[in-house]
Amino acid sequence: MEDYERELYGVEDDFDSQFAAELEVLAELEGTAALSPSRSPRPAPTVGRPRLTFEEAIAGGDAATDCSPGGPPGSGSGGARKRQLTADIQADTFLPPTPRIKRSKLDAARRLNFRPDEMEELLPPDSPTRGITPPPSPEVPAELCDNGSLDTGADVGLTGASPAARNPVLRRPPVLEDYINVTSTGGDRAFLVLRDEPVGTAVQGSFLDMRRRGRGQLDLLGVSFASLKEEVDSERRRQLLEEAQQLSDTLCSLRAEEEEEEAQPTGAPEEEPAPHQDASQHCLWVDEFAPRRYTELLSDDFTNRCLLKWLKLWDPVVFGRERPARKPRPSVELAPSGKEATASGKWKSHEQVLEEMLEAELDPSGRPRQKVALLCGPPGLGKTTLAHVIARHAGYCVVEMNASDDRSPEAFRTHIEAATQMESVLGTSGRPNCLVIDEIDGAPTAAINVLLSVLDRRGPQEAESGAPAMPAGGGRRRRAEGGPLMRPVICICNDQFAPSLRQLKPQALLLQFPPTLPSRLTQRLQEICLRQGVQAGPGALAALCEKTDNDIRACINALQFLHGRGRRTLSVQAVQTTRVGLKDQRKGLFSVWQEVFQLPRAQRRHMGQDLTLPTPTLLLGDGHTGLGSLATASQQFYHILHAAASTGEHEKVVQGLFDNFLRLRLRDSSLGTVCEALDWLAFDDLLGRAAHHGQNFQLLRYPPFLPPAFHLLFATSHVPRIAYPSSQQEAQSRRSRTQNLIETLVSGITPAARSRAAPQALVLDTLCLLLDILAPKLRPVSTQLYSAREKQQLASLVGTMLAYSLTYRQARTPDGQYVYRLEPNVEEVCRFPELPARKPLTYQAKQLLAREIELEKMRRAEAAARAGHSPQVDKGPPGGTGEKGVQPPAPCSHKQRLECVLKSTALEEQPERDFFGRVVIRRAAAVSSANTAPEPDSAERRMGTAVGRSDVWFRFKEGVSNAVRRSVYVRDLL
Amino acid sequence: MVQIVVSSAGAGGLAEWVLMELQGEIEARYSTGLAGNLLGDLHYTTEGIPVLIVGHHILYGKIIHLEKPFAVLVKHTPGEQDCDELGGESGTRYLVTALIKNKILFKTRPKPIITNVPKKV
Repeated sequence: MEDYERELYGVEDDFDSQFAAELEVLAELEGTAALSPSRSPRPAPTVGRPRLTFEEAIAGGDAATDCSPGGPPGSGSGGARKRQLTADIQADTFLPPTPRIKRSKLDAARRLNFRPDEMEELLPPDSPTRGITPPPSPEVPAELCDNGSLDTGADVGLTGASPAARNPVLRRPPVLEDYINVTSTGGDRAFLVLRDEPVGTAVQGSFLDMRRRGRGQLDLLGVSFASLKEEVDSERRRQLLEEAQQLSDTLCSLRAEEEEEEAQPTGAPEEEPAPHQDASQHCLWVDEFAPRRYTELLSDDFTNRCLLKWLKLWDPVVFGRERPARKPRPSVELAPSGKEATASGKWKSHEQVLEEMLEAELDPSGRPRQKVALLCGPPGLGKTTLAHVIARHAGYCVVEMNASDDRSPEAFRTHIEAATQMESVLGTSGRPNCLVIDEIDGAPTAAINVLLSVLDRRGPQEAESGAPAMPAGGGRRRRAEGGPLMRPVICICNDQFAPSLRQLKPQALLLQFPPTLPSRLTQRLQEICLRQGVQAGPGALAALCEKTDNDIRACINALQFLHGRGRRTLSVQAVQTTRVGLKDQRKGLFSVWQEVFQLPRAQRRHMGQDLTLPTPTLLLGDGHTGLGSLATASQQFYHILHAAASTGEHEKVVQGLFDNFLRLRLRDSSLGTVCEALDWLAFDDLLGRAAHHGQNFQLLRYPPFLPPAFHLLFATSHVPRIAYPSSQQEAQSRRSRTQNLIETLVSGITPAARSRAAPQALVLDTLCLLLDILAPKLRPVSTQLYSAREKQQLASLVGTMLAYSLTYRQARTPDGQYVYRLEPNVEEVCRFPELPARKPLTYQAKQLLAREIELEKMRRAEAAARAGHSPQVDKGPPGGTGEKGVQPPAPCSHKQRLECVLKSTALEEQPERDFFGRVVIRRAAAVSSANTAPEPDSAERRMGTAVGRSDVWFRFKEGVSNAVRRSVYVRDLL
Repeated sequence: MVQIVVSSAGAGGLAEWVLMELQGEIEARYSTGLAGNLLGDLHYTTEGIPVLIVGHHILYGKIIHLEKPFAVLVKHTPGEQDCDELGGESGTRYLVTALIKNKILFKTRPKPIITNVPKKV
C-alpha cells in the first residue's frame, strides 16, 4: 500500500501541474479544495457515494423519459420527474432538491477521476453498500443512455474540464462508432464509444496508465519510469566515463610512453561498479568486464605483443612518424609485460621466427611485409577484444566488419575501401581507421579474393586514385610510390584451415592464439566475483575454467547466469553439476576417439593415488574401489558419454573405436579386455540391427554406452595414435566386388555345372580347389610334342575352364609388362591375402591355355552351328533336286507356280523381242495389246492369283501358344 | 502293372523328322478339309532362317533344338492271328519310326504377300 500511495503522489504531482486551472475551478465549486481527485471519492463515506450514483440513476431516468439531451439539468420539471421516478423505484428519497449544482459539480469531479474505470466505480459500490439498491442493470443504462444530458450538466460547471466525460458508455456495442468494452468484476460489460479528442486522450491516457499501474501493477511501459530514468542517467555517466577513457588512451598513445598503473585507470574501475549494479541485468558481464586497456588483456602476452608490434610497423605510413630507433623500442614494447617476458625466458623457434618477421625491414612503400594480421583460435579467447584494444591503443579508430554478415564480394569491397581509404570526420578526432574483419573464415572465397586484390594493389597507376590522404605532410611524397592499402587490416578467424583462407595465409601475419592460462583466467574471474559480490573459491573457478576449456566468454557468462539465478556462492559441486557453461560445440571425431582412449590429464593426477585400480573390475562392477576414484570414474563415464553423443555420428565413432582399439597398448595379457570389447561391439551391432530392422528405436538408447565402456577398458595415459576408420568401407567395397565377380562367374558357367554349383557352395567348396585343378604342370613345349596323356590332360583342363567359363586374358601391368590374368579373377574371391600365393602357371602356359580355350570355343561353336543347321545343310541339295525332280506331278508349290508364271510371261515376251526386233512386229504387238486391254498386267495378275488361290489359309493367333494338352489314358495306349 | 513295349525297328536307321510349330490355325479354303492339300512352301534363307509360305502369307521362323528329343511311335495292335505268334502277350507294341530333335517354330505374325501394288495411289 505504501508504494501505491507513493505512486499516487507522483501521479498527483503531474496531474496537478497539468490540470491546475481545472482544479482551481473545481476547488471553487466544491468545498473540498485541492483534494486530490483520485483520492477524494475513494475514501468518501459510502453514504455520499451511492447517493451520487443514485442521483445519476435518477438523472438517467429523467433523461430517458424526457429524451431531451440538450435540456438543462437544472430544470424543475426534470427534478419533479426524478422525484416521481425515485418514488417508484425506491422508498427513500431523502435528497434535498437544492444540491443540484453541487451534484453536477460532484459529478464532474467524479467523472474526471473515475471515468476510465467506471465499471469498477459504478457497479460494485452500490450493490454492497446499500441494502436497497437499484438493480445494476437499470443503473448502468441510466448512466449510459443519458450521458449526453449529464455531460451538458457537467459542462455548465466546467467546460472541457472532463473531456473523458463525453465518452458515452453503452450497454450494447455501438453500431457506427469504434468502441472498447469494459467488463466489471461482477461480469457486467459496458461499451465505451471512442471519440478522438486531441487534448483529452493524451492526458487521459497517461493518467489512465499511471492509475492502472498504481493499482494492479499492469506495467504497460515494461519498466517503471523511475528505473528508466535511472538507466538514462547511468548511460550518460558511462558515456562520460568512456570519453574520458578514450581521451586518456589517446593521450597515452600520443605520448608514446607506456602507461603503467596510474590514477585514471584505478579511478575508472572504482567508479564503474555503481552504475553497473543497476544496469547489470541489461549488460552482459562479458562486455562489462571486457578489457579496455592493453594491460588488462588476458590473452597470451606474446601474441599481444606481436600484434602490437605489427601494428606499430604501420606507424610510418599511417602517422608519418619515423620508425623509432631500435633502442627505445624494446623498452616501449616489452615494458607492459616485462615480468612475463623475463619469466618465460627464451622463446621457441616459431616465436623467434615471428620476432624476426616483425623486426624485418619494411617493404619499399614503407609498409610492413605482411599487410594483414590473421588471428586464429577457438572462440572465447578474446581475439576480437585483443584486436580492438590494441588498435585503439595504437591510436587507430576501429572499424569492424563481420565477414559472415557481409558475404558478397561487392559488400566486402565497399566495406574495405570505405574503411581503408576514408576517414571519419566526426567524433574520432581524426584518427585513422583500422579495419577489423571478424569471422573471416565465414566469408566465401570470392570475398577473400577481393581482399587479396586490395592487398596486392601497388604501383603508381593506382596510387593517385587509391591512396588515402595522409595526415602527416611527410606522407605526401611517399604516397606516389606507395600502394593504396595504407591502413592495417586485422582478420579474425576461428579455423585457420578454412579453404577460403588458403590464399590469404601466406600474405598474412599468422598469430595463433594459445589457450588462455587458467591461472590468469581464474584470477580475472575472482576479480569479477569480488566486484559482483559472488563468493567463489578458487577451486570452483578453476573447475569452471576447466569445464569451459578456458573459454573466457563462457566462463563469465556462466558466472553471470549463476549470479542472475540468485546464487551468491559458487562451489565446485555447483559448477560441476550445472549444465551451464557447456559448449554446444560439436567435437570432432578424432577428439572423441582421443578422449575415449586417453585418460585426461586432470584425472591422471587423481589417479596417481589409486593407480592400482583395475578398470576392468570397475566395469564389471565388483571392484572394491575407493569412493573418490569411483566418483571420478563415474564423472569420467558421463564425460565420455556426453562427448561421444555430441558428435552425433555414433556409427563413425564405433567404427573408429573398432579400428583402433587393437593398436593400443594392451595391459591385459589374457586379452580379456579385448574379448569384452568385442562383445560390446557385437552387442552394438545386434542392437543396431534390431533397432533398425524392427523399427524398435527404443533400443537406440543403449548403444551410446559403448564408448564409455571402451574408455574404461582401454584408456591409458599414452597418447593414442588414431587412424581414421576405413576397414568398414574397405570391407564393404570388397564384398560388393566379390559378389559381382561371383555373379558373372555363375552366369557364365554351363548349365550342367551350374546345376551343382550354387553361389555359396561354389565359394566355399569349389573355387578353392578349382584353382588347384586349373594349375597343372604343363611342359613348356609345343603341344605337338605332347604325349597322348598330356594332350588329354590339356584337353580336360580346357574343358574344365570352358565349363566354368574361365579364360586367361592378357593385361598390361602399370609397369609395362604383359601378364595373363584369370578372368573372371576367381583368385580374389577365395584366396586369403596373407597366405602365400599358389605357384602360378608360367606366362607361356597361360598363353597356351588361352589359345587352346579360344580354339576349343570356336570348335564347339562350329559344331553347334553344324548341329543346328544340319537339316538345312543336308537337305539343301537333295531337297532342291527332289522337289524339282519328283514334285512336278504333285500339286505344285508356290515357287513352282510362280516359276511357271514367270516362265510363261518370259515366253510370251520373248517373241516380241525377236531377233530382228522390227517395228512391224512391235506394232503388231502394240495392236494386240491394244486389242486386249486387260492383257498387259496379265503376268502380275496371274502371279497374284497363283499366290492367292492356294487351298490352305493360315490364320495367325496372337498371344502365347501353349502346348496343346490332351489327356491320354493308358488304356488307349494298350 | 502295365508294360508297354517300345521297340525300334532297325538300329541306326531311324529317320529324323522335323516338328513344325505354328502359332495359329490352318484352314482349308473349301469345306473339303485339309487332307490332301498342299500346305505351302518351306524354304531356308541363306542365313538358315526357315521361311514358310502359306496362301498369301509368308512366315519367318527359327530352328530350335529340342532338349528332349521326341520319338515317333507307331502303335501296332496285334490282330487275332498275331496273338498266337507272340505267345499270349497282351501284345500292343510300339515301333519307333522316327526321332525329332529339332523343331521349326513360327511364332511371329505372318506377313502378307502383295502382288498387285497400284503404281499410283
